[in-house]
Amino acid sequence: MDYIREKTPPVREDRLGACMAFGGSCCELSSKSKKGCLYSNNRTFSQSQGCQLTLSLAILNTIRDSVIIVHSPIGCGASLVAQAGISKGFQKLRDPNAFGLRWINTNLDEMDVINGGEEKLRSAILYADREYRPSAIIVMNSCVPALIGDDIDTIIEELQKQVTARVVPVHCEGFKTKIQATAYDAVYHGILRHLVGAELYEDQDPIIPDEFEELKEKYRISHTVNLLNVSSMSRIDEQELVKLLQSLDLNVRILPCYAHPDDFADSYEAALNVSICATHDDYFSEHMKTKYGVPFILKTIPIGIANTSKWLLDIAKFFGIEERAQKLIDSEVRELNAVLTPYREFLKGKTALLGGGEIRILTTAELLHNLGLEILGLRGFHFDRYGEALLDDLIAEIPASERAIINIGTGQPFEQANLLEKLKPDVFVGHPGGNGWANKQGIPVFPLFGQTYNYMGYVGVFEVARRLTRSLKNTSYSRNLVKHAQLPYRKDWYDQDPFSYIDQDAAL
Amino acid sequence: MSKFVERPRYVCALGGAVGTLKVLPRTIPILHAATGCGGNVALALNQAAGYLGSGYCAGQALPSTNTSEREIVFGGEDRLTEQIENTIKLIDGDLYFVITGCMVEMIGDDIKNSIKKFDGGNVQVIGAETGGFHGNYYKGYEIVLKTLFRDFVEKKAVKDSRLVNLWGVVPIQDVFWKGNIALIKDLLNKLGYRVNTFFGDGETLDNLRNSAAASLNIVVSDTFGVEAAQVFEEVHGVPYITVPFPIGDHGSEIFLRQVGSALGIANAFVEKVIKREQGYYYSYFERLADVYSDLDLQRYTVVVGDSNYTQALTRFLADDLGWLPELVVVTDFLTDEQQDTVRSNFAGYESGIEPELVFDTDASNVGKYIAWHWGQSGAQKYFEGFNPGFILGSAIERDVAEKLGVPQLTVTYPISNRVVLDRGYAGYSGALRLTEDILSTLVGSR
Repeated sequence: MDYIREKTPPVREDRLGACMAFGGSCCELSSKSKKGCLYSNNRTFSQSQGCQLTLSLAILNTIRDSVIIVHSPIGCGASLVAQAGISKGFQKLRDPNAFGLRWINTNLDEMDVINGGEEKLRSAILYADREYRPSAIIVMNSCVPALIGDDIDTIIEELQKQVTARVVPVHCEGFKTKIQATAYDAVYHGILRHLVGAELYEDQDPIIPDEFEELKEKYRISHTVNLLNVSSMSRIDEQELVKLLQSLDLNVRILPCYAHPDDFADSYEAALNVSICATHDDYFSEHMKTKYGVPFILKTIPIGIANTSKWLLDIAKFFGIEERAQKLIDSEVRELNAVLTPYREFLKGKTALLGGGEIRILTTAELLHNLGLEILGLRGFHFDRYGEALLDDLIAEIPASERAIINIGTGQPFEQANLLEKLKPDVFVGHPGGNGWANKQGIPVFPLFGQTYNYMGYVGVFEVARRLTRSLKNTSYSRNLVKHAQLPYRKDWYDQDPFSYIDQDAAL
Repeated sequence: MSKFVERPRYVCALGGAVGTLKVLPRTIPILHAATGCGGNVALALNQAAGYLGSGYCAGQALPSTNTSEREIVFGGEDRLTEQIENTIKLIDGDLYFVITGCMVEMIGDDIKNSIKKFDGGNVQVIGAETGGFHGNYYKGYEIVLKTLFRDFVEKKAVKDSRLVNLWGVVPIQDVFWKGNIALIKDLLNKLGYRVNTFFGDGETLDNLRNSAAASLNIVVSDTFGVEAAQVFEEVHGVPYITVPFPIGDHGSEIFLRQVGSALGIANAFVEKVIKREQGYYYSYFERLADVYSDLDLQRYTVVVGDSNYTQALTRFLADDLGWLPELVVVTDFLTDEQQDTVRSNFAGYESGIEPELVFDTDASNVGKYIAWHWGQSGAQKYFEGFNPGFILGSAIERDVAEKLGVPQLTVTYPISNRVVLDRGYAGYSGALRLTEDILSTLVGSR
């Protein structure tokens, strides 16, 4: 993969043929995906979703010692307003001196739409540098300047000579794609072009060469992995994964969330890039391989016993230490299974519907199945070849799962409401943002992820079992809501096919 | 020319339109905007507003055309017509309101073409252009109100002399709007009037539909909703007054007297209402005498927020609580004329306090104004500074409060560190809630 010479990355509709409108069985989705006939991305009725700018912020608002400039009318990046004053804590878990969130909106108005907004962007960049002296200034381009033709790359190139911070353009204009996850490519594109590569920084060669030190350094690099984290995981998740990797005597560098801009400079000095989510990292991993020759592991996310073990074995295989890893896995799994017994008894036979990112729901479904739950259905934000591989694993591993319902769509809670009414699961395991609707239908909710909770690795399995059991111990909150809250859909909606509004004719 | 904003405390006009419509009973906003606009503002309208929640049909449920490259190139009017038609089929509402984002306006989509196809149908569909580049949240509020007054409120030839309308308390951007509306409504009930507020508890769309029967429109703001009041007067012939948002005894006195005079209520009756409220208010206020004096709870204060809140909070602190709110930062987009009007609300304090008033949209500057106003300690032996200090502002001010080591209470938008349900700070009993919250911050950290 090599898009890095381009100013902007391709969208996922084009790059991965990603689909975001489907309803049917798991089996049907798998076979259609293989035949390459999943191309529907439209609905004749649709509800709000985020754009790639909103999702880009999920990574960008974690980067330490930086300032974000949203080049747009005053509302873009509104999620930052919701984070203001509360997000500092997560940064401080990585660096006690972290500053918290700092951002500027260029406030494009009616005049700028006519005359261009370049002056405002210039003044914002200069202000950010002078006011904060940050290590990086991240400039996010939005729909309006893209349409009026502001040339942010040229401005940044010019100003880079005047400011001390590294200025990183991120092209994440919302209208360009319906696949929100294109955001990750947009962010990594900016990082790869402007933060990775020691040649971007001052020469740091030692004054007196030392061959032994160089050898030691080479050895260290040959045992270093980049653990590519996601903003939806917690520090506790990170610690669990780091612990497992360190048990195999590997050095771990964590990127990109909560990293310092300088951490990217020499990030190619690693033996392996270890992704925990293909949706998140395929663009970065592929480019690190093409440009710097760093191989990668991308298959699965370490959620649940089966996928955590697969993930570890893949890494171990690369380093030729499978036997050692297998020993670690055996001992972890033995210890874990012993403590899971009472939770498995409680959870046995309970039913679940899951919703969220393709990678996360498919692996979490395996985790829940392993705990004894029955998976009635899945809802994925979008679907591509990385989902296809995990879906096939799931179908192979869980009996009768090929008949389970799967619905692809970002948000679209009207389809969710219809499915929940028909399936009536004991629990809805959903992506934050859409869970309240399930609660109002009287269905208890377990969030698919949380920035303060543990879901990953072996300890994550125990934590999910423990918390899910707790959630189901008292479900009065949702039972009260269903008696008094009302969803906006007309009654006859629940008698209809949940996928009635998917536009089957629409090709790309 | 406007400038960039460092850590803005409002979203765009589209966000204001969504926010205003999502809390209007049984009204369904339909977004004609780029993919993402709806999801983007949802977070600011929910988590930054005391965890308001998605509402009846907003958040992820908000109907949206999710316009993308194809429509940007070929035009999106057909897609909008399809979306309106299916929204009516699927979503149970009494009024459907189309609002637009930047992109569809820039490519020249005309929503009227789509809307007019639903004329004479079973349900009413109206719309307005609310693209983000028109301004911030308040602009969206203003545009939506103007459209409702023009296109939804029914003409009434006969006026009800005991009925008034009230707005200017901006839902969501005033995070305590629901409580504040109830409290102000209660004050007006005590003057003997029924009140339509459109957004208050127990009201339906009929309150809005029939609001042209009112004899006066009361805009509880000198900046927000004034243009809408002009439209209302033009279309329905109902006059309006603007009064400052009231918190506490001194603020509420001004409010009641101004409203009383505009409605032609006998002074003696207004004074009687004030006296009764004061009796209740000070019976609680006096309870604090021991702790206020024993712990010396007077504080220098910085007030940061919008023009509605800052003037109300400052007057309450200066004239009711006897504090020293010497510095006020107003963070709105205001014209020079509006700034003059706002300035006039910070004068004439009974306590003689004359706060330094600055207009600035940039959050980082708050700390600089504090340093300029009170001076910066150079570790002198004798130093008069911002001590004991208190910051009354938004969650954004937590940073500067932490840096200066002073206590802080979050009362202006954004509020992400408190959960807000029906709490309000307006009027007399609202000021008691505020007093509880401010002083609890101080005694809670003992």
